[in-house]
Amino acid sequence: MRWATRRGVHVDRAACAWLIRRHVDPDAEFVFVDDPADVPHDATPFDLRGVELGHRDGRCSFESVLLRYGLDTDPVLSRIGEIVHAADLDDDRFDAPEAPGLDVLLRGLSMTGDDERTLAVSGPLLDGLAEYVRRSYLLGREPA
Amino acid sequence: MPSEWILLSYRLPREPSTPRIALWRRLRRLGVAQVSDGLVALPSDARTREQLEWAADHVVDHGGEASLWTARPATDGQERALAEQMSSQRAQEYREVAGEARTALHDDPADARRALLRLRRRHREVARRDFFPPAARDEAAASLRALEAHVAGRPATSGATATALARPGTTAAAR
Repeated sequence: MRWATRRGVHVDRAACAWLIRRHVDPDAEFVFVDDPADVPHDATPFDLRGVELGHRDGRCSFESVLLRYGLDTDPVLSRIGEIVHAADLDDDRFDAPEAPGLDVLLRGLSMTGDDERTLAVSGPLLDGLAEYVRRSYLLGREPA
Repeated sequence: MPSEWILLSYRLPREPSTPRIALWRRLRRLGVAQVSDGLVALPSDARTREQLEWAADHVVDHGGEASLWTARPATDGQERALAEQMSSQRAQEYREVAGEARTALHDDPADARRALLRLRRRHREVARRDFFPPAARDEAAASLRALEAHVAGRPATSGATATALARPGTTAAAR
């Protein structure tokens, strides 16, 4: 399937792409557009104005993808949703000390390469975050 | 030549008031300049643009009207007026941080530490929406350093680490 989002990927879009590839569509292909009107007909838009997989009712796009694909019951993904929300919206809704660091790393990535590279690098980074969160759930404390 | 700004023009019904308050909070957090009633502006970059796009969506979702524009002030003077408006609002916020940090110097260590954590956070918030850094920024940073020293129980002449800690989030201001 094809998925479309706006060019200049930051934390919310990078995390959405990761989530889509890992949990929704392993063969996902991503298209980057400047204008929402340029989204190809066969592509599902995300993190664009006015789309279902965007900022809705106080959710960030990552949380909208979780909800749409029934992934919001997964505690690890929900926690990553809180971290991405805090990194993207910075609105004090969740306690997520990881967020400012994640935001800075993703912003730096977007300064040093194109969107394909940002997704390529942020993928393993988010895999690592997911594993860390998973282990903290299993242990009930911060993993070593 | 004046630089590019992103403008949000909006109209939101007076009632219910909750979405209006949410919008107001959101715009305040972004540190917008108020151009006139229902028209706010930020220096244009990928981030400010995106933030105002979501704000526009919020308005539309709650039965209002919103449009986004990129524009250059016609004169340097006009741009300066916007910058001064934003800069003086940030200065006010920095002075509050500085004032509270100075007050906390008289607190016992535990209270001073709590105040330090809260004020660091507040300072970061202000710095993030500080596009035209006022002189008061340095005053706030210096007061935070003094409070850090007080909490750490060392004399108030602190090193480079404290300076670095007190000055994050100012990248957006390097314009």
